[in-house]
Amino acid sequence: MVNASPPKWADRFLEWYCNPALLEEIQGDAHELYYRAIKSGNRYLANLQFIWNVLRFFRWKNIKRSKRSNTNRSVMMYQNYFTVFRRGFIKQKGYSFLNVLGLAIGIACFLLISFYIRDEFSYDRFHTKADRIYRVHEIFESDGVGERSASLPFPTAEALRNDYEGQVVQAVRFFNFQAPTIAVATTTPDNIKEFNEPRLFFTDSVFFDVFDFDLVKGDKKTALAHTHSIVLTESMAQKYFKGEDAVGKFLRLQGSTNLLVTGILKDVPANAHFQFDFLVSFETLKEFYNGSMPPSWYWNPCWTYLLLKDRHDATTLQAAMPAFVQKYFPEFVRNDITLELFPLTDIHLKSHMDYEIQPNSSLTTIYVFASIALFVLLIACINFVNLSTAQAAKRAKEVGMRKTLGSQKMQLVTQFLFESILLCLLSVAIAVLIVVFALPFFNSFAEKDISPMVLFQPFYLGLLMALPLTVGIVSGAYPAFVLSSFKPITALKSNLSRERGAAFRKVLVVVQFSLSIILLIGTGVAMDQLNMLRKSDAGFAKENVIMIPVLRSPVSTNYEALKTELLRNPNTISVTAIEEVLGAKHQVGNYLIEGLTESKPYPRLNIRHDFLKTFNIPLAAGRDYSEDIVTDDSLALLVNEEFVRQMGWTSNEAAIGKTFGNRSNRKIVGVVKDFNFTSKHQPIRPLVLDLNTNPRAFELFIKYLAVRIKSNDVPATLEWLQEKWKTQIPGWPFEYFFLENNLENLYKNENKLSKITLVFSCLSIFVACLGLFGLSTFTVEQRKKEMSIRKVLGSSDSEIFMLFSKRFFVLILIANILAFPLAYLLMKQWLSSFAYQVSIDFTLFLVAALIAIGIAFVTICYQALHAARSNPAEVLKNE
Amino acid sequence: MKGTYLGELEELVLLTVGILYNKAYGVAVMDEIERQAGRSLNISAVHAVLTRLEEKGLVTSQMSDPTQERGGRRKRIFLLTAAGKRALEEANALRTQMFNQIPRVALDFSLAACSLSS
Repeated sequence: MVNASPPKWADRFLEWYCNPALLEEIQGDAHELYYRAIKSGNRYLANLQFIWNVLRFFRWKNIKRSKRSNTNRSVMMYQNYFTVFRRGFIKQKGYSFLNVLGLAIGIACFLLISFYIRDEFSYDRFHTKADRIYRVHEIFESDGVGERSASLPFPTAEALRNDYEGQVVQAVRFFNFQAPTIAVATTTPDNIKEFNEPRLFFTDSVFFDVFDFDLVKGDKKTALAHTHSIVLTESMAQKYFKGEDAVGKFLRLQGSTNLLVTGILKDVPANAHFQFDFLVSFETLKEFYNGSMPPSWYWNPCWTYLLLKDRHDATTLQAAMPAFVQKYFPEFVRNDITLELFPLTDIHLKSHMDYEIQPNSSLTTIYVFASIALFVLLIACINFVNLSTAQAAKRAKEVGMRKTLGSQKMQLVTQFLFESILLCLLSVAIAVLIVVFALPFFNSFAEKDISPMVLFQPFYLGLLMALPLTVGIVSGAYPAFVLSSFKPITALKSNLSRERGAAFRKVLVVVQFSLSIILLIGTGVAMDQLNMLRKSDAGFAKENVIMIPVLRSPVSTNYEALKTELLRNPNTISVTAIEEVLGAKHQVGNYLIEGLTESKPYPRLNIRHDFLKTFNIPLAAGRDYSEDIVTDDSLALLVNEEFVRQMGWTSNEAAIGKTFGNRSNRKIVGVVKDFNFTSKHQPIRPLVLDLNTNPRAFELFIKYLAVRIKSNDVPATLEWLQEKWKTQIPGWPFEYFFLENNLENLYKNENKLSKITLVFSCLSIFVACLGLFGLSTFTVEQRKKEMSIRKVLGSSDSEIFMLFSKRFFVLILIANILAFPLAYLLMKQWLSSFAYQVSIDFTLFLVAALIAIGIAFVTICYQALHAARSNPAEVLKNE
Repeated sequence: MKGTYLGELEELVLLTVGILYNKAYGVAVMDEIERQAGRSLNISAVHAVLTRLEEKGLVTSQMSDPTQERGGRRKRIFLLTAAGKRALEEANALRTQMFNQIPRVALDFSLAACSLSS
């Protein structure tokens, strides 16, 4: 009984809440009363009484109030922290500069990339009804061959609206003749302007009900309601009418149709997945198709967008699509067609259909960029941690002194976190400057139009606040805890305190360099892949091939004469005409081939004679179309080797003579070697080359004239061609492009990706090197005396140099070893999205390793030499 | 601060501090009040009053030397200050002065009863 003690928890509670200045007497009194109560015999009552007393002592006056009593003191402490920080910063200019600069670059990269990513995700979200707008895709495939089309047949929109009134509010179509450009001209003789416009669309009158594009002039309700009306963007109005009021004026389409300007549009925001300059009322099309809309359910040239009542209707509607297909589509394709509703806001990043209005971006790119942004930021943070912990030893005495004078551990942690947050604030300020200056360059190579004003968006204001806090705390936490855990006695006693956290720093350096090396290798592989896609043989000649758009042009009636005329120049090798840009695009046709019970969709190109000669595509078997055999137009067909393979025919020769179209006189006459008729994102698929000599084909099936010329004196040949063109096709502009240049666009995405990764991986290496430089400087300083003593004892300069740089090289070697397999796996992953993959070149790994080692060497070299060359007397004389 | 006005409990505690001279600490004061006035106070109330008196400058305190009891914890010993002594004297004087002003008749209960009933 005598040894009893009051209930622990109550005692602890008392200790916890009680003001330390009052604790002793209060606890003393409470205990005294307790022991007295114990003596009277009842322990239970004594406990109760003790608890009661403890509770009664819980008064305002007795409670610990660190805040109230410390407000002034902590403000003072922060002032002190700031003073110490400022002095340290100025004293250690070099380190501080490296520290802040590295972090600033990291943060700037992070910000720039985040701009890019945010912009990518902002696509099409400016429409108020964006979440209810869907585009309908037509997937038309049989056994994986055919097309995945972003566009639909003409009548689909109306049928969908009529059949699903409950779900579909509006349907809007876009149509552009599937033509690369459409000729637009002014009508007044005093102002003659003629251009081939690539961004002109016919669209339904409800366009403005669905999409939020603003009209500067004109009425949204009526602008596109009537036939022969056109609205154009402000910049186009400027281009054609030079600041005069365009509304009420006329524009001539394709040299024949006059359209009344009924409105001026604001220029289309850059973050719309399709860009246009002109919109023409859909009704106008009737003039081009003999007074009515094309009724075909097979030809699918119209991009069709639906505005739904509610976005949840999409599922219902999607479920109804198979029935819809069965109801309307022609029997011979019905079973090969799937319709798919695709959300508007997903189109830019996720839709990769054939015949997109404009090429889209991809989610993979976003992921790659996001990881680069994080990598660079991480590398910069690691720098920061490294440099701060390295300096820890320097501050050991300060810590010791502060502790002796009564600093709590938490106070020290606060101090160091405070410092790192201050540094980060400074870095963020510098980063913002860097961003503002670098944005124009970034915009130009990322092909964006991002204004620095985005920094004032609430999101970025928030981010700019959050960044220094998070980065400061994340990267300041480790140094703070290391520094604050110094034991005051050791810190003050030993005059050269032991290096702290050296192992941890080594790990960080390895991580840093691994990341940089991965980025380097990634850049290398991406560039390799891009080069492979661009440069590797596509199976046809694309050099010195001139493509001239001829759709709906007078060439239709004059083709043969023009061809003969153009061939007269000895520098013209061959002339042909073709449906699409070879190597970029194709159309699809249904063919009933011998051995099949019903027709199937196959990629198809309509061509004219001399196609194989112009593009230098070799025959694998059989013969080319011949001008001497008139029936070739309807009774003969060329296919490619893949076609033969898919049909399961034993050899190319076996394919010759197979019939098509269920007629014994229609025969496959030749097999051409495989070539890449689309971008190398896709493997080679079966292809039908269909001769079409009908002059009417220029209405739809023949879009380009292709001329291959000799490589000598190209400008002269071009001039000559233009002259001939003018005499043969008067009144039609001679506009052309080189096939090779046009095909570059196919790999724009990859091109951008490799450019951006290149820049940012260089920056990451740079940041990592800043860190390495700081670290080596520090090590040199720390081991100065050791090195001097070694020198005095006879070490040579080179030995010292080796000794010093060895440990860094070991780290970088380890980083290489770690980075190689990781980079390999990541790159394999990335490459797997390509049909044609460059084999990962291991010399690339070596090159990356050498670059990393080389740069690191240069970085360390300066300090190592400094150490090796120093005069021992100078260093040691102060001892 | 509430001026120099002395509350009833404060006066009691102040008196006790005077009585106990240099042995006046929380528990002792509490015991003494219970013994003399028969009032059972909670120890925390005593502490509160003592703190208040100290803030008013009527008592001063210092920590005693540690002893074996209370686990070696020191006591806070309270002593009257000059101001405290004056406050007690004033309170005492005021009381006596006012008591003396009560008319005799008011204290003569047989008379008072008659005059009231008439």
